[in-house]
Amino acid sequence: MSSLNTIDFGVDASPKLQAALKNFSAEKQAKLLEWHIPTRKTEAWKYSSKRLGMSSSDVGNLEANKTTASNDPTAKVYTEAYSLDCNTLIISNGKLEQKLPLIEGLSIQSFADLNDNQSKDVASGAIASSDNLMFADLNAAFLQNGVFIELADNQHIDKPLKIVFHHIGESNSFPRVFIKLGKNSSMTIVEESSTHSGLSATDIISKQNAAILNSVTDIHVSANAKLTFLKMNLDDDACRHIASTGVALMRDARIHTYCLSLGNQLNRHDLLVKMMEAGAECDLNGICVTTDKQHVDCHTCIEHIAPNCTSNESYRCIADKKSQIVFNGRIHIHKDAQKTLGSMSNKNLLLSSEAEIDSKPELEIYADDVKCGHGTTIGQLDEAELYYLKTRGINHEQAKLMLTLGFVLEIVRAAPVIEIAEYWEQTLASILSYKI
Amino acid sequence: MLEIKNLHASVDGQEILTGLNLTIKPGEVHAIMGPNGSGKSTLSQVLAGNDAYEVTAGSITYQGKDLLEMATEERAREGVFLAFQYPVEIPGVSNLQFMKTAINNIRLHRGLDEINTGDFMKLAKAKIQEVNLDSAFLKRGVNEGFSGGEKKRNEIMQMLMLEPTLAILDETDSGLDIDALKVVADGVNALRSPDKSVVMITHYQRLLDYIVPDFVHVLAKGQIIKSGGKELALELEDKGYAWLGIEEATA
Repeated sequence: MSSLNTIDFGVDASPKLQAALKNFSAEKQAKLLEWHIPTRKTEAWKYSSKRLGMSSSDVGNLEANKTTASNDPTAKVYTEAYSLDCNTLIISNGKLEQKLPLIEGLSIQSFADLNDNQSKDVASGAIASSDNLMFADLNAAFLQNGVFIELADNQHIDKPLKIVFHHIGESNSFPRVFIKLGKNSSMTIVEESSTHSGLSATDIISKQNAAILNSVTDIHVSANAKLTFLKMNLDDDACRHIASTGVALMRDARIHTYCLSLGNQLNRHDLLVKMMEAGAECDLNGICVTTDKQHVDCHTCIEHIAPNCTSNESYRCIADKKSQIVFNGRIHIHKDAQKTLGSMSNKNLLLSSEAEIDSKPELEIYADDVKCGHGTTIGQLDEAELYYLKTRGINHEQAKLMLTLGFVLEIVRAAPVIEIAEYWEQTLASILSYKI
Repeated sequence: MLEIKNLHASVDGQEILTGLNLTIKPGEVHAIMGPNGSGKSTLSQVLAGNDAYEVTAGSITYQGKDLLEMATEERAREGVFLAFQYPVEIPGVSNLQFMKTAINNIRLHRGLDEINTGDFMKLAKAKIQEVNLDSAFLKRGVNEGFSGGEKKRNEIMQMLMLEPTLAILDETDSGLDIDALKVVADGVNALRSPDKSVVMITHYQRLLDYIVPDFVHVLAKGQIIKSGGKELALELEDKGYAWLGIEEATA
C-alpha cells in the first residue's frame, strides 16, 4: 500500500482522480455556482468577514490568484519549531514531496488512487456531507488532490503522525486530508500549519493581502477506535488561514482534540463533530490567544445524532491590545439523541479595554431526556488573585502575567503530547512576554 | 518591630478601625481576639497592603519605615507575611512556580542571587513535609481544590519557606481539626525567634494552648480595649466578651 513515494497535487489531475471525486465534486461544484463571499450578514462570518479582505470578483480568480513571492529563502523549506519524535507528512503548497513514512498498519495514499469504497468514504465524510461550511465547500471545488490516511482495524500507533500544511504565500492553497481510523484502533495526530506569507510589514500596512490557506481535515473514527488530535497554527502575521476539521464518530468511538489558535490577519477554525452512533464521546479543548490587531475565529459544532453519547468542550480565550476573538460553540441534540450528556465551557479573559471577545454558546435541543449545560464567562484579571500573589513579594507585572498564563495552562498542560504541551507553554509565555 | 498609632481605616466608606494602637517588639507573639465585626481582619488586610482598605488617619511604622508608603509586594519583600483567613485559589499557577517566583523576588530584594532549582526543590519538599501535606500538592494549582485545612496548611508552608520577620495569621486556626491545628502551631513555633514577631488573630482560645502568646489583646469596635497576658484569653473563654461591656455581633 505504502509503496507510493509522492502524491502529485499538480493541476493535471488524472482521470482516476476525476473519477474518484466525481460524486463529491458534482454537488459541490453546483453549490459553488451559488457561492458568495461571506459578509457581515452571513451569520457564521458576522465578526470575521471583513478580515477576509475578499471582494466578489475574487471568487473566479481564487485558483489563479498570485501574490507576492516569498523573499525569505528559509521559508521555502519547512523547519520544525519544536522537536518531537514522530512520523511527518508535509504538504508543501499543496504538494506532498517527501518520502512517505512507512508505518505498519497505516496506509497513506493519493485521492487519485482510491478504490470505490474509499472514494465513498471521502464523499460522505463529516465535512463533505455538511452544508454549513462555506470554505470547506470552496476547498472541495478547488481541490486538486488530497491525502487519504487509513489506520487498519485493531492497530495502535504510539508515535504521533504529524501532518504539516506548509504554505509559502505565492498562491492560494487548498489542501485536504481524509483520515480513517479502523475499528478498535488508536493513534495520535498532530496537525500543524506553517505559513509564510512573504509579506513585509509595509505590505501589510498597504493592505496587500496574503494568499489564503484553506485546509480541510475530514476524520472518520470507526467503532471503538480512539483518536487524539492536536492542532496548531504557526502562521505568520499577514496570513489568512481558514481551516475546517470534521469528525464522524461511530459506535463507542472517541476523539480528544487540543487546538491552539494563535492570531494573525485571520485565523478561522471550524470544528464539526458528528456523533453518528451510540456510545461515542468527544472531548474538545481549545486555546485562543491574540494580541496587537490579530484575529481568531473558532466555530465549533457538536451534532448529537445518536443516543447515549457524551461531549465535553472547554475553550479558553485571551485577547490583548486591539485584538479580537470570536468563539461560537454550538451543540445540536437531535430528536433521537436521548440520554445525551453534553457540557460546554468557554472562559474568556480580556487584557485591554480595546480588545474584544465575542462569545456565543448555542444549544439546540430536540430530545427530551438529556443533560446538557454550558457556561461562558468574560472577565478581566481577578483583583483578589493579583493581591494574593503580591502579598508574597511578586510584583504587579509578574503577577499579572502568571495569572494570564495560568488561565490557559490548565488546558495546555492537559495536552497529551508532552513536547507539544511544553512548546505551547513557551510560545504563549513569549506572546504574553512572560519570562519565568 | 511594629508600631501602630491611632489607626483609622475604612472599607467602602465605612469606618472599621477607629483609632487602634499597638506596639510589637522583636521576638514577641501577640494574640488579637474579639467578636465578629470588631475589625480583626481589617487590621490584617491593612498591614498586608490591601488597596480595598483605606487608611484615613494614623501611622504604622515597621522596622523604622513607614509601612503605609510601601506597596504590597514591597512589604512582603521586607518580611511582612499574611496567612489569609480565606486563601485564594489560583488554578493554572502551580504551588512550586508560585513559591519559586516569590522567593526569588524576595532574594533579589535582599541582593541575593536567584535560588537554584535543586536547593529550591529540597526546601519545598522539606517544608511541605513539615506541614504534613503530600508533596503532590507542590505541583497542583495554588490552593486549587484544596480542603479548608489543606489551604491553611499551605499558608503555613508558604510562611515557613519565606521566613518572614513579621507573620500575621488571620484566623488560621478557624475550622481546623486538632491535627491540622497542631501543624499550624508547630509551624508558628518553628518560626519563633528573638528577631521575628507573630500576630495571631483568632476566635478561639484553643490555639493559645499550643502557641503561648506574650500578649493578648481584645479588639472591639475598631480599637484595642484591653490587653493582658495569656491568662486574659482564658478569662475570655470563660466569660465571653460581655464582662468587657461588648455586645457580640451576630455574624
